Amino acid sequence: MTALKWFFSFLKKHRTRIALGLLLVTICSALAIVNPYISGIIVDDVIGGGAYELVGKLVALLLLTTLLRSVTRYLYLYCFESASQRVLFDMRDHVFRRLMGEDFTFYNKNRTGDLMSRLTGDMDAIRHFVAATIYLIYESILLFSFAFVMIVTIEWRLALCIVIFLPFTVITAKKQLKAIAPAFANIRQRFSSLNTFVQENVSGNRVVKAFAKEDYEIEKFNKENDAYMEAQLTSTAMWRKYVPIFEFLSSLLTVILYLVGGIMVVQGNMSLGKLVTVSGYLWMLNDPLRSVGWRGNDVQNFATSCKKIYTTITAQPNITEPARPYVKEKLRGRVEFRNVDYAANNDVILHDINFKVNPGQTVGIIGATGSGKSTLMNLLCRFYDVTGGEILIDSMNVKKYNLYSLRDNIGMSMQDVFLFSDTIEGNIAYGKPNATFEEVKHAAVISDADGFIMKMPDQYDTIIGERGVGLSGGQRQRISLARALLKDPSIVILDDTTSAVDMETESHIQDSLHSIGERTVFIIAHRISSIRDADLILVMDEGRICESGTHEELLEKKGYYYTVFNHQYGEFDKIQAQKKGGTP
Amino acid sequence: MARNKVDMDESLQSQFNIKQVGRLYKSYIRPHTKELVITIILMLISSALGMLTPMILKTIMDDLIPAGNIKGIVLICLLLLSINIICVSILRMKITITTKLGQSIIHQIRQDIFTHLQELPFSYYDDRPHGKIQVRVVNYVNSLSDLLSNGIVNTFTDLCSLFFIIGFMLSLNVKLTLVCLCGLPVLATLVFVIKRKQRVSWQIMSNKSSNLNAYIAESISGIRVTQSFVRENENIKIFNRLSNEYRSSWMKAVMYNFLLPPAVDNISALTTSAIYVLGVSWLSGGLEAITAGTIIAFTGYIGRFWTPISTLANFYNSLLTALSYLDRIFETIDEPVVVKDTPGAAEMPPIRGDVEFRDVKFSYEEGVRILNGVNFKAKQGQSFAIVGPTGAGKSTIINLISRFYNLDSGQILIDGIDINTVTIRSLRKQMGVMMQDSFIFSGTIMDNIRYGNMEATDEQVVTAAKTVCAHDFIMELEDGYNTHVNERGTRLSAGQRQLISFARALLADPKILILDEATSSIDTETEILLQQGLARLLKNRTSFIIAHRLSTIKNSSCIMYVDKGNIQEMGTHEELMERKGAYYELYMSQYDFLDK
Repeated sequence: MTALKWFFSFLKKHRTRIALGLLLVTICSALAIVNPYISGIIVDDVIGGGAYELVGKLVALLLLTTLLRSVTRYLYLYCFESASQRVLFDMRDHVFRRLMGEDFTFYNKNRTGDLMSRLTGDMDAIRHFVAATIYLIYESILLFSFAFVMIVTIEWRLALCIVIFLPFTVITAKKQLKAIAPAFANIRQRFSSLNTFVQENVSGNRVVKAFAKEDYEIEKFNKENDAYMEAQLTSTAMWRKYVPIFEFLSSLLTVILYLVGGIMVVQGNMSLGKLVTVSGYLWMLNDPLRSVGWRGNDVQNFATSCKKIYTTITAQPNITEPARPYVKEKLRGRVEFRNVDYAANNDVILHDINFKVNPGQTVGIIGATGSGKSTLMNLLCRFYDVTGGEILIDSMNVKKYNLYSLRDNIGMSMQDVFLFSDTIEGNIAYGKPNATFEEVKHAAVISDADGFIMKMPDQYDTIIGERGVGLSGGQRQRISLARALLKDPSIVILDDTTSAVDMETESHIQDSLHSIGERTVFIIAHRISSIRDADLILVMDEGRICESGTHEELLEKKGYYYTVFNHQYGEFDKIQAQKKGGTP
Repeated sequence: MARNKVDMDESLQSQFNIKQVGRLYKSYIRPHTKELVITIILMLISSALGMLTPMILKTIMDDLIPAGNIKGIVLICLLLLSINIICVSILRMKITITTKLGQSIIHQIRQDIFTHLQELPFSYYDDRPHGKIQVRVVNYVNSLSDLLSNGIVNTFTDLCSLFFIIGFMLSLNVKLTLVCLCGLPVLATLVFVIKRKQRVSWQIMSNKSSNLNAYIAESISGIRVTQSFVRENENIKIFNRLSNEYRSSWMKAVMYNFLLPPAVDNISALTTSAIYVLGVSWLSGGLEAITAGTIIAFTGYIGRFWTPISTLANFYNSLLTALSYLDRIFETIDEPVVVKDTPGAAEMPPIRGDVEFRDVKFSYEEGVRILNGVNFKAKQGQSFAIVGPTGAGKSTIINLISRFYNLDSGQILIDGIDINTVTIRSLRKQMGVMMQDSFIFSGTIMDNIRYGNMEATDEQVVTAAKTVCAHDFIMELEDGYNTHVNERGTRLSAGQRQLISFARALLADPKILILDEATSSIDTETEILLQQGLARLLKNRTSFIIAHRLSTIKNSSCIMYVDKGNIQEMGTHEELMERKGAYYELYMSQYDFLDK
């Protein structure tokens, strides 16, 4: 499938609307021919010829056709405009669905601003094409053919003169389309790039301010802004070579018709009356000819955007549903990693991971920055697929599950907390939009968020900004935790979720987490206190599990875990002594 | 304004504010008066030449052909051709100038809005979805392009030719001209009647488009959350609702616009008819001294009278459309800069590093005090740790040092200088701030670290990375320092991102370093290495650290325990432990679990 075919698959759905529109355009163009004709009669016969009694009827006819023409025109504009909006609506829906279905790898490759441009700026070029370009081209062809047929019937030799023009027009138009294509693609590229720059600047506004880099950002922005303007001007420099050519061709046509026609009349090969009639049709030849260049721009603009959108969404997601997906309402939560390998870009990220977790158990994961802890969890949720080995949940490979039912059973609170610009309630209920307020509040109580939420001016109705700025890191983490818990998942993943929460709150959260029924919990953390009680602690290093066991077992091993423990709690003995001494 | 969310319309100004147009002219169009005048003159020449064409054709038909003057026909055709060549060249020039004109104006507006955005405080960005800010800079400004390129030039040209035509018509027959002009009030009434609705419907449209845009932006940024919460279908529903709202608002607005051209057509037909009827009755009644020739000539001009009016009506339409965008653009440009340099602010001299808070009171929203009279003094080279429950105001304290917000009362002094009396940039440039949210720009890792100091050499960047223990993992990436990372650094782990923004902060070589939970995602081993490397670096710098892992801050020169908007305890670790207060409780609580 090509981009254009893809576009037509959307257009086809609204073909009745478009056909009706084209029909109305036909009527309207016909009426456009009638009006000057009536005016002509009034001027020549009534006013000039003195047939005064006809004026009433003719004027009424004139007004009627004008009114009729206005109505048909309004209707066809409506047809095309609504068709274009419908096509756009469907396309947006399609593209958005695709974006929702794309995997993490896709989002790692594509920048937010670029993807946004596909759904905004590029869509607009398509809107213009359906709403206007289609009928403008049709109208031009219609008028031109009509005039041509009329002239053929009047004097075929004059019609030949017109035919000579056609190849020139076609060749020039083709040349134009080819010449401006790169320039238009460049504009879309620049637009996208500008959009991306602004998007990042807005998102990163805190960093910009913290480093007082406003001047630098402005300078960079100016470059983007200049480049965009430059792209516009370059494309203008391209098409302004062509647009006037058509303008010239159209006037040349007039000159030739008069020259040939005049000579023919003088030589007695044609009557003067015929030439007069032919010149009456001249505007129908001229206007379409003149507009070829402009329409060429429209078409190319459309084609470029269409292609851009199409290439973005044709990337097939790597993570796909199995042919016969297994749907399970409620997983039990038994998890097993069997010889799991994961590599991306020839870079081994995880190697030979093996462990087993029973339902209701807690797994603590600790390890160096970048050792693959989060990747482990991303594989479990199938955000990426393993490149070797297998991951089993309830003794079945995760690849066999229906993707949604799998993820629905896993509540994940991510390292990088993303909150939506919505109320706190809306954010907590993100995974379960139909949740009752009691459920939301309950989840917030478990994650120790209820307290600070109730202190806010609008409590659960407080609107928080994107990325939850306006909340402290700890508050954001707790909202994200509540969000994960609200789904009542069988498997809970806390990826560094309590790093910004003070220890008292953390232990409170952990207590309540255990009190709410049996579920398998994965905790990624750097603080020993977060994972100490886990049934299984995995210590990760460079993509491998280097130590595993319970807290006590690992302390005995005197390995990495032991070292970390000592760094964090080296003073334990001293404190113990102090405690015993201080509080007998 | 209250906080805005994605599907919430921003407030509407329903008044048709002609001042906006005046402002557009004054600030952006006037500097281009010269180009504008040249184009208009060119266009007038072109349309004057255009008016010759029918006369030339008439000569051919009426005189040359009946006379059988072939040579004459050829000559006059050549004349026609040369006129056309002139017109075509003028068209070419017009395209060049108007595109340049339109693009320059847009370029300028975009630059102004962006520059102003850089001045706006955090709260501006916190209060609305980022997509809504972005759409103003990019899409809204773009929507003005057509209006500003062809729109202006055509309008002026049309106005000129309109006056010409009226002049012509008046010279032919005053009464008929008046009849013709009668159509104008009718048109004006219609314009007036639909104006309000049209204006409001375009404003609604721009709002809906902003909502949709914001939703797209958020959906893409938050895709990871969406997928892990299996919210795709729900989001598609919301998206389609917003998309549909946008569609219907667009249809409604555009259908108002479509009313105008047919109205012009019909009014034009009406006046033309009136003239025919009147003319005929005069001719047949002989009441007026008028010839058939005059009426025929007159009707020839009526068409030329209404054509420019029709284009003006279109211009009016696009003006109304553009105004709905322009409102938002000017609204942003007019957004007051709350945190700004005080008049006569001096450059901050090179900072030594003494920081003092004097009775600092602060609130984000009126009536809700966050800080209530904070007092402390930090000496050059000291490290200050701030601990306390979440939401106690820890981040607020350090944000105030960089003057991200204005104080309600009290003073913050650096080296004895009130930070209100120096320029914000000179102040912030000398501070290294590392925030909770480590933002990575799309680009190479080298670029991201260098963001802290543009003049830094590659070696300096590498040194900074080594200091923060980021060098090793960077070298393991496929292209080392030249590895491309995405916006928000999605390819890196959170800890790695923190290390990179740490290196970035260090590269700025700040005298005051602020670390706001900067190491929360970094493992303990790395953190220890990091601290060893930092110890040397921090020697002559004053640092403020917020952390929840108490091992991170134990060795600080001073620890502040903040709660309820004030410093509850302050002292070294040992002193505070002695005191057995809130800090002691906090410190001991981390060992509680060991007793379980």
